[in-house]
Order: sequence, then structure tokens, then C-alpha cells
Amino acid sequence: MSVKEAIKNVESYVGERFPVEKMNYASMVQKKEVPVHQLSWGYYIGGLALFLFIVQIFTGLMLLFYYQPTVSDAHASVEYITEHVPGGALVRNIHSWASSMMIAAVMIHLLTTFAMKAFARPREITWITGVVLLGVTFMFGFTGYLLPWHQIAVNATKIGLQTIEEIGQYLPGELATWPRAIKETIQGEASVGQATLSRFFALHVIILPLSIAAMLGIHLLSVQLHGMSAGVDEAPKRKEKFFPTFFLKDLKVWGVAFLVLFILGLCVPFESFFAYPLFSPFDPKGSTPDGIKPEWYFFWVYYPLELLPFWMIMLGQVVLGAVLVATPWIFQNTNRRAMRLLAVAAGIYLIVMTLFGENIYHLFKG
Amino acid sequence: MMRTSPIILLVLFVATPALHANPEFHRFIVKNSGRSVDCALCHVNRDGPEGTGPGQVGHLTPAELEKLGRARAALAPGMKPESPILNLFGNHIINSIGKQKFAELRLAPEQLAKTLPKDSDLDHDGIPDAQEYLDGTHPLMKSDGRPWLLFKNNLRTNLLQILLATGATVIGLFGLRHLLNGFAIAVNTDENDEDENKEQHP
Repeated sequence: MSVKEAIKNVESYVGERFPVEKMNYASMVQKKEVPVHQLSWGYYIGGLALFLFIVQIFTGLMLLFYYQPTVSDAHASVEYITEHVPGGALVRNIHSWASSMMIAAVMIHLLTTFAMKAFARPREITWITGVVLLGVTFMFGFTGYLLPWHQIAVNATKIGLQTIEEIGQYLPGELATWPRAIKETIQGEASVGQATLSRFFALHVIILPLSIAAMLGIHLLSVQLHGMSAGVDEAPKRKEKFFPTFFLKDLKVWGVAFLVLFILGLCVPFESFFAYPLFSPFDPKGSTPDGIKPEWYFFWVYYPLELLPFWMIMLGQVVLGAVLVATPWIFQNTNRRAMRLLAVAAGIYLIVMTLFGENIYHLFKG
Repeated sequence: MMRTSPIILLVLFVATPALHANPEFHRFIVKNSGRSVDCALCHVNRDGPEGTGPGQVGHLTPAELEKLGRARAALAPGMKPESPILNLFGNHIINSIGKQKFAELRLAPEQLAKTLPKDSDLDHDGIPDAQEYLDGTHPLMKSDGRPWLLFKNNLRTNLLQILLATGATVIGLFGLRHLLNGFAIAVNTDENDEDENKEQHP
């Protein structure tokens, strides 16, 4: 293939994914239609994740006014926000609830998109940016977990970073030193301390939001350019206008989500699900309370990691990552029925490990 | 040979158990509630009264040691002990039942909840201190309690705010619906006018 042909192929590939002739109000909004069928609810999950991200930005900005990213003041500043700042407890609680809901929404969005085979040509870029967004969302959770600088935050972060270092023993030659170097780069010093907190803070409030904004821009542009995928094999009996019909329904979902968040934020402190000693300030010389574990959205990998050999889980993670990125090509000829079954199986696994992971762990380990 | 997971090793390394001031009560709460608790439930220092840290005996000034002596002599209820090693809840227990009764209850720690005042709620979270003792939640932390109990109490307390927020959301969505519908009609009308103009003046 000559260079000219290669450039032409790239041009045609990009042109099909980002058609310039469709980049106008009429195509992207006015004439856009959304199919109506039994899986139509899946179209609202992505919008819901977007809404929760917007909530995170607003509540996060408010928390920034008072939060101090230093090991000496971080915990006290969070306590000050909760106890003394007017509406501080509500804002912080909404931020916590919305983070969990956002991760849940992104995971469900990925599964429904997979089940509907919404990654098929020309939507490969939409899918890949979606997978990256999922990764960035998990990183948001991981970095945000450390910021209150309490017992569970610091100890769970230590375990998470230690896991990165352990990968090295399974890698050949020079590669074996890389995970340790990555861990030290993230950690910034010999143990989790001020440098780690500063780096996690920078990641959480600047680097990750900028990354997510860029990815989200490409993702949403792609969605608007190609419209919603058909989602089901049979031709939809009905279609509705994206604007204003679908958009208004989306806003109603956002309204309900806001109310749920508001009620949860006002009535159920997020921390009430855990034993209180986990939220005492981290003291490197003091005792460590029982029950240190990561946030619920890591249970699907945390409990298997405790039960099975480390290499098996790491290999599984690498395979899962590769399959997720290559999904548009691996499953291009798979029918939607099979896709749905796979998505349901993955969903059941996630629910079982999240709700009963601890019980399963005790069942096997006693 | 079985290989111990490095993560489990790390957890074991960092999870050094604390020495509990009153192990009978600690054991009962953990067994009854299924939650882990530490000495901070009743003491100033979460590692208990022994040691040289803040709120521990070895850290007290002569004046505080004198206070501690007086508090330890509060055998009968209502003597308002101000023990510098106990937190508000710890002092509340001794004030309510006296040091002597408290010592007797070591043999029956489940009875402590019955002897505490029924209406006492030091953190004003809607859950009585006696219930928080049984649930293994902190009686001085407003955000710590059984989630369902907190939900019920906070829902009752904040009902007006919730109704106002619901009303504002419904009205906001109603307004947005009309605004966006109007906008869509205006855009379509403009488009139709343009089409008509094109037909009339091709």
C-alpha cells in the first residue's frame, strides 16, 4: 500500500467517524431521532452519568473552598466542612453519593451499550472513548478516596498502590521494575504521605477533570453525529424526535436523580454504612481499625484478588482491558441475543460480588 | 506450599489490634452489632486510657490527674464526673449510673443499655444513646448511626425542605418543557417559512 493510499484510508476512516457534513445544528439536534423499543431505557443511562458528573463538578468546587490538601489539615478541614460550614454536610454527602451513583451509571451504561451492540461501525470511537471514560471514572473514585485522610482512606490507598508494585514479579527482565517505578511516581515518597496526597489531589481536581472533559467532548460529539444506535434487531416501530421530546425526557430523569440525591444527601450520611473507627484521622503510629477495604465499586476485583492467586487476577484484568478496547472488532459478527446474554452474565457477576463478595470470601477463607 | 497474598500480609501488618479499656463492653458491642468499635466510643483516645498520647493517663497534667482522681471516686450516680480520659458519652455513663454500677455491669454488659436514660441523645441524631450503644454506632457523631434509623429521623426533620425541593424541581421541569417546546416550534416555523420562500422564489 502506498503512502497516498494509506493517507486516503485514514482520511476515509476518520471521515466516516466524524462526518463534517453532519456537524451542524440541523443534523445533530433538529433532525436527530431516537428509536423507541423495549430497551429504550438504556439511552437515558449515559445522560444520567453526565448529569452526575455535572453534580460532581459543582459539589467538588464548593468543597474546594474549604478543603486543605495537607496531611495535617485534610481530615480537620473535612470535619470542619461537615460540622461547621452551612450546608457543608449536605454538599459533601451529595458529592459522596453522586460519585457512587456516577460509577454505577457508567458501569450500567457500558453493559447496556454492549447488550445493544451500540459499538458497531461507525461507532467504534464512541465505544473506545466510553471505555476510557469508565477507567477515568474509576480513577476519580480511587484518588478521591484518599483525600479525607482518615484510616480507611490511607490504608485502602496503601493496599491499592501495593497491588501495582506486586505486578512486577510477573513481568520479564527490565519490565519487572516498571510497576515499582509507577507506584513510586504515584506515591511520591517512601510511604503514603504528603507527596501522595498532593499528587492525588492534583489528579482528582485538575488532571482527571480535564481528561474526562476532553474524552466526554469526543464521546458526545460522536453520539450526536451518529445518533442512537438501533439497539435491537427488529426495525423500531416508532421513533421520537431528539429535540425536544427525548431531551425533555432526559431532563425528567435528571430531575428525579437530583431529588434522589438531595434526599439521600440530606437523610443518609454516606459514612453511616461503615464502622466509625474507619473515619478517625490517620495516625501512622496508632492502631489500625478492622474492616479496611476499598470502595464498593472495586469489590468485583478486590474479593477475587483475596481468594485467587494474584497472577490470575492480573491476567484477567489485562484480558478484560484488551477485550473491552477491542470489543467493536471482536464482537462485530456476534448477534445481539448473545451480546445480551454476555451483558446479563457480567451484570450478575458484578452484583453478586458487590453485594455478597465478603460472604463469599468468608465462605472460602473461614 | 500455599503462597500468602501480599495484600493479606499488608493488611495483617497494618491491622495491629488496640488494647481495649473495657474489653467486656467492647466484645458485647462487636458481637451484638456486627460492627467494629474502638475505645473512642467512650474515651478521648481511640487506643484507650493507657499510654502517653492525648487523652491518655501518661499525657495528663497534674490538674487533670486530680480531676481523674475525683472522677474515679464518683461511685454513685449524679456526681457529674469530668474525667479527662473519657469523652462526653463516657462521662455521661458514669454520671447516669455511677462508677460502682458500671463496674458491676462488666459481668452483664448487655444491661448497660437498659440502665442509661431512655431519652438521652447526645449527638441529636434522633437515635437514643442506649440504642447507639447496642448498634455499635457513635453516640457523639451525628453522621454515625444505623442508616435506616438516620433516614427515618432525618426525613421527618427535613420534610419541609424535601417538599420544597420537589416542588422546585417539578416547577422547573414544567417551565423548561414549555421553554424548549416553544423553542422547537419557533425553529420549525422558521424552517417552514424558509421552505415556503424557496418554493415561491426558487
